[in-house]
Amino acid sequence: MEFESIEDVTCRLERAGYIPSREIATVVFLAAATQKPILVEGPAGGGKTELARAVARCLGRDKIRLQCYEGLDEAKALYEWEYAKQLLYTQMIKEKINDLIAGADSIAEAVERIAEQEDAFFSERFILARPLLQAISSDKPVVLLIDEIDKADPEFEAFLLELLSEFQVSIPELGIRKARHIPMVVLTSNNYRDMSDALKRRCIHLYIDYPEPELEKRIIRLKLPGIDEALADRLVCAVNHIRELDMKKRPCISETLDWAQALMVLNIGELSCQAVSDTLNVICKYRADAQLVRQSMDKVLSVK
Amino acid sequence: MIDRLIQFVAACRAADLRVSTAELIDCHQHLQCVDLVDEARFKTVLRANFAKSRRDQAAFDRVYDLFFHGPGAGEDEDAQHLDAEAAADLLSQAGMGGDGLDAALLDFVTGDPASFLQVLKDLDQQADAPSASGVKSNLGQLAGRMQVMLRINAIQRGLARLPDGTGQAPAAASASRRLNQARGLLTRQNRPYNDGLRQVRSHHKHYQGLGEQPFSSLTPAEIEQMRDVIQQLVRKLKDRMGRRFAASRRGGLDVRKTLRRAGRFQGVPLELSYRRRPLRKTRIVALCDVSGSVWSAARFMLHLLYSLQDCFSSVHSFAFVSGTTDITEIFAHNEVNRALEKVLSSPDIGFDALTDYGEVFYEFRQHHMHRINRKTTVIIVGDGRSNYQHPRESILAEIREKARRIIWLNPEPEAFWGTGDSEMHTYKAHCHEVRTCQNLNQLIDFIEELVL
Repeated sequence: MEFESIEDVTCRLERAGYIPSREIATVVFLAAATQKPILVEGPAGGGKTELARAVARCLGRDKIRLQCYEGLDEAKALYEWEYAKQLLYTQMIKEKINDLIAGADSIAEAVERIAEQEDAFFSERFILARPLLQAISSDKPVVLLIDEIDKADPEFEAFLLELLSEFQVSIPELGIRKARHIPMVVLTSNNYRDMSDALKRRCIHLYIDYPEPELEKRIIRLKLPGIDEALADRLVCAVNHIRELDMKKRPCISETLDWAQALMVLNIGELSCQAVSDTLNVICKYRADAQLVRQSMDKVLSVK
Repeated sequence: MIDRLIQFVAACRAADLRVSTAELIDCHQHLQCVDLVDEARFKTVLRANFAKSRRDQAAFDRVYDLFFHGPGAGEDEDAQHLDAEAAADLLSQAGMGGDGLDAALLDFVTGDPASFLQVLKDLDQQADAPSASGVKSNLGQLAGRMQVMLRINAIQRGLARLPDGTGQAPAAASASRRLNQARGLLTRQNRPYNDGLRQVRSHHKHYQGLGEQPFSSLTPAEIEQMRDVIQQLVRKLKDRMGRRFAASRRGGLDVRKTLRRAGRFQGVPLELSYRRRPLRKTRIVALCDVSGSVWSAARFMLHLLYSLQDCFSSVHSFAFVSGTTDITEIFAHNEVNRALEKVLSSPDIGFDALTDYGEVFYEFRQHHMHRINRKTTVIIVGDGRSNYQHPRESILAEIREKARRIIWLNPEPEAFWGTGDSEMHTYKAHCHEVRTCQNLNQLIDFIEELVL
C-alpha cells in the first residue's frame, strides 16, 4: 500500500477526496519514502488536518489524533497508570495475597514474596494508552496526527523529540517501547509561536498557502459536484479579491467551500451585490471584516 | 551533486538560515527519490529540508534564485552578449568613468558581482560606526546609496541613447538588465515575511465616552476617573482569574494521599484525591517609551500590569527614551500611583533626549537579555519613531528567537505607521502581534486577552 511515485501520491490523494498541489504531493511522497514526520504550516482552514485524514484514507491506515493545548502533559499524551483499577484489583485479590505471605517467617520474607509479584501490577493490563502510545504499539501501521503543536508548551515539544526521531518511548516501569510499525506522523501548526530548531530539524517542512485559483476551482468541483461552473468561477474570483483586502481573518479554502454550499442551498446562481451581502457571514468571521468587504464590494465583484 | 549541494548549504547559512548536517544528509537522500529533471520538484525538496518555517522561506527563495539563476550560475543568456572588453567599450561610450565604483559596476555587468557586493557591504557597515561628532544618524549611509543609484541610472540612460544600427543593441540590452539587477540589490531591504503576525484592531466598546477618549487628550479630572475605572476592571479580572485557576488546576491522582485516606475505611480507597498543579503563568518584560505623548498610554498599561501582578509569574519593566532604565524596583516598593510619579521625576531617564529605539535595543541586549526565556512575553509600548536613527531591528529579531512572544502596542493610529521617521513597519516584521492602543477600550481588550 506504499506510494510508488509522486504521480501515484497525487492520484491516490485525489481519489481520497483531496486535491494536492505539486508541492504537497512531493513532500508527502518524500515523507512516506524516508519515514520522516511532516510539519505542516499555513493559515487556518487551509486543509492541514484534512491532508492527514486523506493520507490515512488512501494508505488504508487508521488515523490517531492528538489535539495539543496549553498544559498538555505526558499523562494525557502518552500513557497513564490506571491507579483506580490497580487499587480495585488489590482489594479483590486480598485473600490471595494473604495466602502468598502465609508461611513467611519474617516481614522481610513477606516483602520479598510480594516483590516477586510486582510485575503483575505494573503490566500492560494497568496501562491506559494515550494517542502517542497507541500509535506506536498498534498492530497495523497508522497515521499519527499531532494537531496544533504550537499550542502545546515548549516542554511538551521537547518530550516529542524522542518519539519523532527514534520512534520509541521510555516508560520507567516497563522499559523502552519501540514502535512495531513506524507511523506516518503529521504535525500541524498555526504559527502561534515559533517551533524549536530541534523539532524542525527532525521534520520535513510543508507550507500550505491559499490555493491557486485553478486548484481552488477543482477543489470546489470535487467537494460540491452539483455546482454551476460559472458560479464556481465567479466565486473563486471573488474570494481571491477578498483575500487581498486587509482583513483580520482571511477566508481560506474551507470558508470558500462553506460559501459555495450556502449559495447552492439558497439557490443563488448569480453572484450579485445583494447575494454577497446576504451570505457574507459565512466567509467573514469578524464584524469588522464584513464591513470591510461591504465597503469594497465593487472590487470584490470585479471580474479580473 | 553532493559538492554542489554543500556549496548551496553554505550559501544558505550565509543568509542566516540554520541548516544542520543532518538536514543536508536527509536532503541528499530525498533527492535520490525524485526525478531531478523537474525543477519545481527539485526546489520543493530543497525547500522542505532547508527552510523550516514560513519566515525562512523568503530568505530561502532569494538564495535559491541567486545561486541557481543569478549571475555566474552557468547558463546565462546575457553572458553571451558580453565579454569583458566589449562591455568596457560599451559602457565607456555610455558615459562611464574609471573610478572604483565604476570598476565595480563593470565587473558586475561582466558577471563578477564580488566587488559590487563589497561596495554595498561597506555602505552597510558605515552606518554602524559612530561618527566623530557624536551626532547619530544614518544619513551618511543613505547618501552613499543614493550616489550609487544615480550612477547606475546615468549609465543606463547613456546606454539607451547609444545610436542604433551599430550591432550593439543586444549587448546594450543585456548590460541594462544587469544594471537593473545591481539596482535591485542596492534598494532591496531584507524584511522577513512575517506570517504569524496578528494585527489586532479592537472594536469592543467596554466604556462609552471615557473609553473612546485618546490617552493623549485626557484632563486631570478624567485621569482620576480613569483610575477608578481601572480599579474596577482589575477587581473583575482578578475574580475571573481566580475561578479559572481553581477549575483547571486538577491534576492526576495523588496515590499517596488516597492510600492514606483509605486507612479510614479499612483500606478501601473510597475517597480519591487529586494532585493540584499551578497553571503556568507568563513572565512579562515590558519596555515603555516614556517620551512625549506615548507615555500617557504606557502609564496606564503599567498601572494595569502592576495591579494584576499576581496573575503573572513576574513582571519586569523598563522605561526608555534613548537608553533603558529599570523601573521594576520603583513599582515593587511603591503603591502604583506614587510609583508612576516617581518614574516621571526619575533623574535616570533623560526626558530631553531624542528617542532612539536602536540604542534602546542595543542597551537592552547588553544588560537585560538574560531576563528573556521561552516563557517571557515581551511587551513594547512605543510609536516606533526613532528620529531617523539606525533602527537595529536585528536585535529585535534576536529577542524574538529567545522570547515566547513579542507584542507591540502603538499609541498612534495605524494610518500614521511608517510615515516620517516611524520605523513601525520595520519592527512589525519581527513581532508576533501589533495593536493600536490609543484609548482605554483598546487597552482593556489587550489586557483581557493577555490575562485570560
